Amino acid sequence: MANPIVTLRAYRDGLHLIIKPRLSIAEVEEAIQQEIARMNRPLVGTSVQIVLKSPVLEEEEISLLRSKLQEDYDLTVRGIDVVDDESVSPPIAAAPTTHAISQTTDVRAPRNSELSRIIPHTIRSGQTEEFPQGSLIIYGDVNSGSEVKAGGDIVVLGTLRGNAYAGMNGRLSAVIIAMDFAPLQLQIGNYTSRSPASQESRGYPEIARIGAEDVIIVEKFVKF
Amino acid sequence: MGKVIVVTSGKGGVGKTTSTANLGTALALLGKSVVVVDADVGLRNLDIVMGLESRIVYTSMDVIEKQCELAKALVRDRRVDGLMLLAASQKNNKDDIQPEQMKAICDKLRTTHDFVLVDSPAGIERGFSNASAGADEAIVVTTPDVSAIRDADRIIGLLQNAQIEPINLVLNRFSAQLVGNGSMMDQADVLDILNIDLIGVVPEDSGVITSTNRGIPLVYEDASPGAQAYMRIARRLTGQRIPIPDLEDKGLFSNIVKWFTRNR
Ligand SMILES: Nc1ncnc2c1ncn2[C@@H]1O[C@H](COP(=O)(O)OP(=O)(O)O)[C@@H](O)[C@H]1O
Ligand SMILES: [Mg+2]
Repeated sequence: MANPIVTLRAYRDGLHLIIKPRLSIAEVEEAIQQEIARMNRPLVGTSVQIVLKSPVLEEEEISLLRSKLQEDYDLTVRGIDVVDDESVSPPIAAAPTTHAISQTTDVRAPRNSELSRIIPHTIRSGQTEEFPQGSLIIYGDVNSGSEVKAGGDIVVLGTLRGNAYAGMNGRLSAVIIAMDFAPLQLQIGNYTSRSPASQESRGYPEIARIGAEDVIIVEKFVKF
Repeated sequence: MGKVIVVTSGKGGVGKTTSTANLGTALALLGKSVVVVDADVGLRNLDIVMGLESRIVYTSMDVIEKQCELAKALVRDRRVDGLMLLAASQKNNKDDIQPEQMKAICDKLRTTHDFVLVDSPAGIERGFSNASAGADEAIVVTTPDVSAIRDADRIIGLLQNAQIEPINLVLNRFSAQLVGNGSMMDQADVLDILNIDLIGVVPEDSGVITSTNRGIPLVYEDASPGAQAYMRIARRLTGQRIPIPDLEDKGLFSNIVKWFTRNR
């Protein structure tokens, strides 16, 4: 369940602390405390990117917040992004405004009636696999310079290094799962996200889905 | 019946011609009968690297146009028994030859020689289809950089579509020092992406440039690391099982592990 005021999320480039607009600094502080308490892993020594949704907190409130995060939680603030309230999205993702969804998309929506196609090999540069009728399962890697597109989910039982487009007919509950996640570009429905250039896989399976903030989020894959 | 092996890469300048010349010579030194075929019509240079440019009279184009017999177009390398070169025409271009015509030449050479190594031009167009048309197997040459690797990946896909198998990888211009300081991709990363069998790693070796300029393939310089690497690859091509030494030098244990993994 997403915290209504602040949300701490792991994105490709690290943790983002997303703060909703029009709040007093006291409310924000309290929400941060709850959100950090909710995280079941230690955050000490990590760095975060603060993502503020305009209208923003005052200049001095921000610096107060920065030192508080540092002192109370030992979190280094990497930077601060202000995103437009209309097209709410952290910097790594560009969310179109046409599909305003208010809650986390239900990624567990049933897929029983759906077809899936297995590609029993690595997909190499210059190759494309497209399956609008359902999901794609790849027994290999999706290499840089290649593209996979599916009406449903995309599951890569190897390393995803190329471009992946799930929910190509507009299904926003579609997900992209890879054993190793290092894509160039992701798309789910009409939401796209580009990864930072120097990104490396993390050595554990990850899942990309549309999250509560109307952006594609990538996080450690935990069984549904 | 011999084997036709196309030496290819996608990207230019990664060492296809160097590898063809050295592997061809190395195989002949091991007692095999070999023809190296330059398929880079219009931009030939295998003859220069082999030091045979002054002796070329006929080219594959002349054979295709029936100006001469195939056997007569082969230039014999006098330094070692059993090594021949079939040169490419310099005045034509790649579209003047059809893949079927190259295939016919390879099919003939296969019956008279143990190994036919075809030096492919860069690119994925006609030059590549001509070079691979008659191939049974492939050697993909890459350097450890992302752009060469992406092109190698593209070529591997095309070779697989053409059902050319096995496809073996030569990792060229490898520098343990650059891997050590983090500025070069290591062997494992390259293999993780390309996911084909590694047949050898050729180190960055300044001897390659001098040998190219003198027209004497490096493999004649027994002591050079590049020569030794090419000799080992040639031995593997003849079916000998020899370990790939770990140029990253992590010690004996990982050498043994690699040896076992390769011979699984
Ligand atoms: N292992 C190596 N060490 C140093 N230089 C090399 C090595 N391999 C190739 N080169 C150099 O790289 C250049 C391109 O090699 P070449 O074999 O002509 O590539 P290609 O045929 O793929 O275009 C040449 O100048 C060659 O001398
Ligand atoms: Mg060449």
